[in-house]
Amino acid sequence: MLAFLHFEGRRIFGDKKILIFLVFISLFSAYFAWSGLNEHQQFQAEKKIFLKFEKEKTSQILNYMQYGAFGFRLLYEASPLNLFFINSSVLQNVESNIDSLEAIKVESSFKGKRLFLKRGYFKDFAGISFVFGSLFMLYLGHLALVSPAYLRFMTSRMSLKKYYGLTSVARLFWLDLFFSLLGLGLFLLVQLRGVVFSGAEKTVFLLYLLFLVIMLDFIYLLGQLTTVLVNFRKVFFLSFFIVWFICIFLLPEMSRISVFNQSLALESAEKVNLEKFRTLMDLEKKFHDYLKVNPATPLDQIRQMQKKFAVQFINSSYLLNTSLETKYLRDVEKVITGHERQSVIFPTTFYHFLTGEASGNGYYGYLDFMDYIMKLRNRFMQFYLAKRYESNDTVVESFVKSDENIFRARSRLPKTFWLGMLTAVIYSAVFWVLGYWLVRRQLFQ
Amino acid sequence: MIALKNLTFEKGDFFLSDLSLEVASGEIYFLLNRLDQVNNFLFRAMGGFQSAGSGKIAYDGVPLVGAERPPNTVFIDRIGDCADFDADARLGHWLDFLCAQGLSRKNIYKTLLVGNFHERQLKKMVRDLTPETFKLAYLAFCFAVDSGNVVINDFIRGAGKNFELKFNKLLLQKKAAGRSILFLGNDIFYASEIADRVGFIKNGRLMFEAASADLKDMDIKDLYLKFLN
Repeated sequence: MLAFLHFEGRRIFGDKKILIFLVFISLFSAYFAWSGLNEHQQFQAEKKIFLKFEKEKTSQILNYMQYGAFGFRLLYEASPLNLFFINSSVLQNVESNIDSLEAIKVESSFKGKRLFLKRGYFKDFAGISFVFGSLFMLYLGHLALVSPAYLRFMTSRMSLKKYYGLTSVARLFWLDLFFSLLGLGLFLLVQLRGVVFSGAEKTVFLLYLLFLVIMLDFIYLLGQLTTVLVNFRKVFFLSFFIVWFICIFLLPEMSRISVFNQSLALESAEKVNLEKFRTLMDLEKKFHDYLKVNPATPLDQIRQMQKKFAVQFINSSYLLNTSLETKYLRDVEKVITGHERQSVIFPTTFYHFLTGEASGNGYYGYLDFMDYIMKLRNRFMQFYLAKRYESNDTVVESFVKSDENIFRARSRLPKTFWLGMLTAVIYSAVFWVLGYWLVRRQLFQ
Repeated sequence: MIALKNLTFEKGDFFLSDLSLEVASGEIYFLLNRLDQVNNFLFRAMGGFQSAGSGKIAYDGVPLVGAERPPNTVFIDRIGDCADFDADARLGHWLDFLCAQGLSRKNIYKTLLVGNFHERQLKKMVRDLTPETFKLAYLAFCFAVDSGNVVINDFIRGAGKNFELKFNKLLLQKKAAGRSILFLGNDIFYASEIADRVGFIKNGRLMFEAASADLKDMDIKDLYLKFLN
């Protein structure tokens, strides 16, 4: 085994072309990790400005009626791990406004600097490892068995099983080591630059790295199998490109289109907003009708009536609207769960799902954000109505305590992480065995 | 000793019918055949890479069964250039690896020295070697195993005279050491030069066998036109 490790190590790292590619991947990964780190630091600076602005805004508000109308903004803060997945995540620069209006808004801002942040797909550590790492592994898988003449020569020195098995193990050992060291090195470097990761985030990153390595092994074995399938022909590069394109772009895109099609079954968000608006306007109409019937009602009585209507609103219409929103959110969750289950089917589609969740900017991060918004909104409504109709405060008290208006999304692994890992391992094992069986059939006819 | 008995196969346009021959210890037998496909097939069948249609292949009296590599036999295939091998590896790395797999470094150097091989070639990438240096290295790796039988498939085709002479020297050394050598090819002039016995295959049959010494009295051109054209 040591001889194989030594030989394959020299074969991989002794080749200038491969070394150039490895340096290229390392530099690009480092550059995009550094760029992610810059963005993370920029976000932290902007977060401070955001908190200051929100505090200032509340102090400028004259009464609770205004406060209810303006509300306050809620900022979505991704996990620090997001710096490795800055373009591979689902959500980007998300915020919400919590006010007394019926609609819940989740928006992405493009104002000012943020307009120039959009960098397109794959331009982060996760993307570079995925696109260029897969290309590289497919190529090295293609080179592994060299040619039937070479295999015939080698099998006169040892059995094909031994050569095939140990060559794969030795090459994968070096390649896995490279990608693991690259990931861990960058992870340590960003920590040296002051980013602090929690224990859970460290675990998530390590498990993400484990999946990355397994997925790249799968691509390597696919490259090896494809070479055998096309009988080591030199026109291999067309098939090579097709296989790479299908795995890296086509299947993940098909998965995305599929989840979009599933989401078509969801009711339109506008329809839900409209329903909520109708419920609210029904109550407003009742109040308006009451004032029409009793135009001479004294001001304090109107105020009492307003309070009564507000309590009625909280106990009926608001609850109804909240349940509508919760139901809608659970429907979205069902689509997400379906998408997660579907993405497990193929390692590259699962990789996309995993990077989203590991960054904290994934689908489940969105669900958490929505839950947080609804909880906060609930409390805000109680606060707002109590302050507006019951208290006689002249100065508007801020609802937001400390930094409640920052939602800290957590990095997580999908629930199906181990299943996804197992699927990738099974694919790899099948390709490995199939590759051996086919190469044996080609050599020993 | 190498023995083929009633070997028969058919594949597409080419076939071999009822081939029987024996190569004794210390003998070079040159089997001449115009079709490369038949030589390749025979070479692979003898190496255990291809199942023969019917008949028997035996080395030192031990028959070859199914898809297995025959023991105590060295197979030297025709190699066009290094492109079929790992051209991006260094020759020295290849040498170290094969030695770690049990090949004798001493035996390898013994062969390399016959070919005036310089050690600096070991540092070169396989793709940067001249075709003859690559062939010499390949030959050295093959001959590193001291086997009783040697089967060669048209190895010197395309090689220069200089390399041919070095190869002949090695072959004669093996012959002197009592090895049975079966050479498959289509070069009648080379066969008459190196072999002890020559067999001619035409239309899938072994048509004619002669001792090399007898060939000298025959009209080689006539034999060529008769069997190899």
